Amino acid sequence: MAQLNQIHNEFLRQEIEEHIERPDERQRLIDNFVKASPAMQAISAALIEGEHRLVDQLTSEAIAAGTEALEVMDNGLIAGMAVVGIKFRENIIFVPEVLACARAMKAGMAHIEPILSASGIQPLGKVVMGTVKGDLHDIGKNLCNMMLRGAGFEVIDLGVDTSSDQFIDAVEEHQANLLGMSALLTTTMPNMGKTIEAFIDADMRDQVKIMVGGAPVTQDFADDMGADGYGKDALACVTLAKQLLGVKQ
Amino acid sequence: MPNKSVGPMTSRQRVLAALQRQPVDRTPVCNPTSVATVELMDLVDARFPEANRQPELMARLAATGYTELGFDTIMPVFSIIQESSALGCKMQWEQKDNWPTVRMREPIWAGPEDIVIPPDFLTHPDTRCVIEAIKILRREYGDEVAIVGKTMGPWSLGYHGFGVEPFLLMSLDNPGKTKLCLDRIKEATIQFGLAQIEAGADALTLPDHATGDLVSSEYYARYLRDLHIEFAQRLPVPIILHICGRTVDRMEYIAQTGMAAFHFDSKNAPAESMQIVRKRISLVGNLNNPEILFSKGPEEVRLEVYRNLDAGVELVGPECAIPLQTAIENLKEIPRAVRDWHRQRDAANRE
Repeated sequence: MAQLNQIHNEFLRQEIEEHIERPDERQRLIDNFVKASPAMQAISAALIEGEHRLVDQLTSEAIAAGTEALEVMDNGLIAGMAVVGIKFRENIIFVPEVLACARAMKAGMAHIEPILSASGIQPLGKVVMGTVKGDLHDIGKNLCNMMLRGAGFEVIDLGVDTSSDQFIDAVEEHQANLLGMSALLTTTMPNMGKTIEAFIDADMRDQVKIMVGGAPVTQDFADDMGADGYGKDALACVTLAKQLLGVKQ
Repeated sequence: MPNKSVGPMTSRQRVLAALQRQPVDRTPVCNPTSVATVELMDLVDARFPEANRQPELMARLAATGYTELGFDTIMPVFSIIQESSALGCKMQWEQKDNWPTVRMREPIWAGPEDIVIPPDFLTHPDTRCVIEAIKILRREYGDEVAIVGKTMGPWSLGYHGFGVEPFLLMSLDNPGKTKLCLDRIKEATIQFGLAQIEAGADALTLPDHATGDLVSSEYYARYLRDLHIEFAQRLPVPIILHICGRTVDRMEYIAQTGMAAFHFDSKNAPAESMQIVRKRISLVGNLNNPEILFSKGPEEVRLEVYRNLDAGVELVGPECAIPLQTAIENLKEIPRAVRDWHRQRDAANRE
């Protein structure tokens, strides 16, 4: 079993020591960081601090030095985002800090994506995401997008005020295996159920797993309308997405 | 706190006393955000979106909070967008079954230099509508019921003007610039508030969504505490601060602002919240909307009301704008439950 003091990067050691309490999560992070090179640990640390320019520079340097793009993504960027997700769930950091980390992730992925795309490497899954019809609120959905991308999913974001037809068309066009719907208003929550019915009417319900979330949404509400799962926050959304697609956690 | 030595009060007297933590004949029932529902719209023939834009319809729908539901306040502003429309934000007015919203994906500001309060800010149809509705209500209801206006705080207007994500990133990247923006935006809050007071508002709700679901308590202290102190000083009526979501970690700061009351969300336990504010500010709330008022029946509503009364919450009401599809029966149960709780408590005290 890997030990905390085997992690080369001092900042990462401190982050785990101070902020990660659950033993299983703590050990998983230690295992991941111990197997990562010092250069990858530095990328993770910069991402956790939301330093997008530094992540941009370190990622570029790592690729130029011959590190595999997949390794940079998994051991540098995604490993760092895992810490960010836990700190957000535990109210250690808040949305502005997560947005800064997501900006850093994006800066790193700008170097990685073209390489992965050219080499045909597949994402964990394809997720269509959107806020439902009549609802223009998207911060929660966007946080889920960031965390999903940070975990290795491809996300097709339909934005806000999304109709059932738009969800159906996007799932069909992108051959997505997951659909995520968000609502902030009690008035627009029922549009999630209407979209699920539209998938049934279009004979497409079996093609896609559907997950829902948003401030007024509950597990009971999700069950009543026939969703496959409910996530109460962005980290739960990632866990749920992996669970629904049978990806090892 | 309810006090047996206090004689019968009008709704207005009751609310104003509770906002100052003075003795009341019974706990007032209040919603400082919105009581509009689809059933009430049909009942008085005043529906969204027109009831958000025409003063007569706005006043008629708002009055149902008092005439139909038996609340002690009338709140004519059903949304959080009236002044944002007057500031130039792009709007989606929606229909009867949904609230109007600002199109925050189409921001109007990028920096402090863009923030200008338009000369027609208070004569724009969507701010004028609120001011005229308050005048109508004051005329029709005189002194019997408390009329509560609403003026949005600069943090919420920042979300509308800049878009949520750009505004929050700016707050992290450039605190000085953010403070300058808030300082410029605050004049809209003051101007709209003063205009409603002049029109006859007894109190003002001031929503400013620095919620724990988005930002830290340290953010509240850094960016908003001083501004909220300034609002309490410059707006000469009781101010009810409204922040949705988790706020228990910033209630200590909120209690220091000098505002009359804090309208709090059901994510915060009433008893714990009362302990934190320690009578420095009245609490208003915090009946759960989606899981109780919207989804359950009168019996569950009653339990939720009792939970707040048992904790000593000064004004009882829904935690935020009532879901538009909420059943009237659930809302009528709130004042019924308050009266019953007081009767039972008085009877127990006599024994």
